[in-house]
Amino acid sequence: MKEDDVVSKRLLDELEVHGISRRDFIKYCATTAAILGLSEMEFTTKVAEALEKPTSKKQPVVWLEGLACAGCTISLSQVLNPPVSSIILDKISLRYHMTIMAAAGEVAEAARREAVKEGGYILVVEGAIPSANDRFWMHGGRPGREMVEEAAKSAMAVLAVGACSAYGGIPRACPAKGISVSDALKRAGINKPVINISTCPVHPDHLAGTLLYVLVTGKLPELDSKGRPAMYFGEVSMHDNCRRRAHFDAGEFLKDWNDPKQKNWCLLEKGCKGPMSYIDCTVRRWNDGISFCLDCGGLCQACGEPIFYDKVSPLYMADDETSKKIFAMRKTGQSKENS
Amino acid sequence: MAKKITIHPVTRIEGHLTIEVEVDNGKVVDAWSSGTMARGFEAMLTGKDPRDAPYVTSRFCGVCYSVHQLASARALDAAFGAKVPWGGNLLRNLVMGAEYIYDHVLHFYQLSALDYIDIMAVAEYKGKDKDLLAVKDKIVNLVKEKDTYPLTPRYKPDDFSVKDPDIVTSAVSHYIKALKMHAKARNMGAIWGGRTPHYQNIVVGGVTSYPDINQWARFRTMLDEQKKFVEEVYIPDVLAFGTGPLWPLATMGVGGGHYNYLSYGDFPKDPAWKDIVFPAGTIVGLNPANIKVEPVNTEKITESVKYAWYKENKPVHPYDGEQVFNLDKKEAYTFIKAPRYDGKPMEVGPLARMLVAKNPTLIDLVKKGAKPGAVARHASRAIETKLMVDACYNWLDQLLAEMTKPGFKIHDTEHWNPPESGMGAGFHEAPRGALGHWIKIKNKKIANYQAVVPSTWNASPRCEKGVRGQYEEALIGAPVPDPENPNNVVRIIRSFDPCLACAIHIIDPKTNEIRKFLIE
Repeated sequence: MKEDDVVSKRLLDELEVHGISRRDFIKYCATTAAILGLSEMEFTTKVAEALEKPTSKKQPVVWLEGLACAGCTISLSQVLNPPVSSIILDKISLRYHMTIMAAAGEVAEAARREAVKEGGYILVVEGAIPSANDRFWMHGGRPGREMVEEAAKSAMAVLAVGACSAYGGIPRACPAKGISVSDALKRAGINKPVINISTCPVHPDHLAGTLLYVLVTGKLPELDSKGRPAMYFGEVSMHDNCRRRAHFDAGEFLKDWNDPKQKNWCLLEKGCKGPMSYIDCTVRRWNDGISFCLDCGGLCQACGEPIFYDKVSPLYMADDETSKKIFAMRKTGQSKENS
Repeated sequence: MAKKITIHPVTRIEGHLTIEVEVDNGKVVDAWSSGTMARGFEAMLTGKDPRDAPYVTSRFCGVCYSVHQLASARALDAAFGAKVPWGGNLLRNLVMGAEYIYDHVLHFYQLSALDYIDIMAVAEYKGKDKDLLAVKDKIVNLVKEKDTYPLTPRYKPDDFSVKDPDIVTSAVSHYIKALKMHAKARNMGAIWGGRTPHYQNIVVGGVTSYPDINQWARFRTMLDEQKKFVEEVYIPDVLAFGTGPLWPLATMGVGGGHYNYLSYGDFPKDPAWKDIVFPAGTIVGLNPANIKVEPVNTEKITESVKYAWYKENKPVHPYDGEQVFNLDKKEAYTFIKAPRYDGKPMEVGPLARMLVAKNPTLIDLVKKGAKPGAVARHASRAIETKLMVDACYNWLDQLLAEMTKPGFKIHDTEHWNPPESGMGAGFHEAPRGALGHWIKIKNKKIANYQAVVPSTWNASPRCEKGVRGQYEEALIGAPVPDPENPNNVVRIIRSFDPCLACAIHIIDPKTNEIRKFLIE
């Protein structure tokens, strides 16, 4: 194999500028080339470079990130059973996902445009849409909002993943004035089914389960009154399902995180928003059942509810309007018990 | 004739980043780094209960989650006058240690590896290893169905891409294994963090997670599995690539930059912070033969907004910084402010930490000819992952001794309520580098909040003197033989492990200001 096949003359000149002698580099390349030269590279390069129409039956997915932190993407990669690699490679055809895809720049954008042209994909949106000014989220010189609208039009369904995209979340309180995907689509006059899989970040089970439900049944799951999958969200509050509930009923409230006796006591006085939270965390838990917010002595901040974050702040206070309501509920609970 | 290349989006990073380079004669001659998304967290925090800040700022970024939670809690510790008990610090260290292990493994395999291998070479694997044949089958099946998303499309592999089927197939099998391993590392952190991303246990004064011995044993067992992966897979892979096929990139010093480095120092092994995993220090104008480390003085930090979409201001210390947007500023091309140390742009992150620490493994590689740059950054990341694994064992030993003593404490309950007024700074060495939060409190509420995050240092634009930021400078001289496939540009940028959600900025869609700026 000739040296020119391995490396261009121009590159060799470049290397010399950087103090690498031509001879050294060719010596290195020769070793590599001995390995490279043998391969029947044609087969693979042909497939890899062409943007051909796939013949697989996998469900195409387009994932866009707006006013987001990529936390929901990391949550997706928390799915262990089935392994996330099998979801990404075997179950879905992930056409566009900025944090995962190999492509960058124009090559990535072409893949997105191609998918949108074909249509029929599940659109996942992570993050809110800015409403104060389009310039808070620009994508390739265009408002990201337009990209979401365009992608939503030819999607089979839209998954608003995480608190930000489901209800606005923390960005709603920020100068960018983030709004939910369903609100953004309504404003643009686009009518598409949107499934809100809230919480900050999205629960890996909620996301994987909803995806699998759609893949298996070809239908959208039943939703609760806030547009969330009813199999995970709905009627029963965290507080009613809380294993600390007996301590609440007994009036035992954690005051000092250092006291092992108080470790499992009710966290309401610290500012827990469990009674406002209609979600299955206490039963499902997080991280493969290892723990969840309340198990580490942390508080529920109702991150799955539309009130999160601005209406649950201050997060660690018990004497605001929100908490007064909670303690009113406690009285109800006690009177029930006493009756 | 110089040619401009715009890469938007730069993928496999956190957030929205655009890189624009000017290429002349196959080489980058100028560069501009710009993030394209802004939320305005800091401005929003004004008027809030200070204790909201750790929870909220954790959401700056969901990849490097909780680093802000910790820096913020430390700023509050200082402002509230809280003294974190050693038990609380040990638990903070352990959950952040788990974060490091996950984050660095994710970065190498999921975010970077595809830049260095021709993944389709897997189809040519001729070996007999059962696991690797399974990987080959998987890829070949995808190829047959013409559906290799998200592994393709991609930039065309270049001369530096590794194409040997054995090496590539083993790398891909490790890519798949790494997905499992870093999920498990996050589970390890969740034992006391409650869940991931975004731990729930770090608050002002310490942590909320009173540990029990079963959790301790579980963490240690899970750490054993991580240690095995780091020592037997991650480090050998980085070494094999770095000193093998990528050695020419390493010796060329591709992605060098300004050669100024900053580490705040972090991860104490004793209550007095005498023995710390990452020492503090600054290096200005690195001389690899004689590394001179100076102490850090955070009073020398300023932020310039000359080229950022904020209301004009002189360079000021973060305590006095503000987040008032000015979307019409003509000369601005980014929302990322330009932090400077003593007026100089600094690199932060694993390479900075290992150089400041004069880490023997890294120094040895440098002596053998590796110049600090993209490849050295990957090496530094692997080296410090091992340091972090070892440190976790040390902290676990100490925790077991502490938690079995009577009167064991994890939280300063005396200082839980916000003071009438106060100010404080909190520093942390996050996986991506030096992180600082500054808070001012008035009437028990946040009066001003500023964070200078690692990616603000690294992805910074030019300052008021026109000096480039570290990404921009690191790109200068990078070989780009094929403008359609600027592999080296994304290799350099990804070697920093960008995290853009907290480093912010805007381009005017109508007047296309960034382009105008470039042409002038």
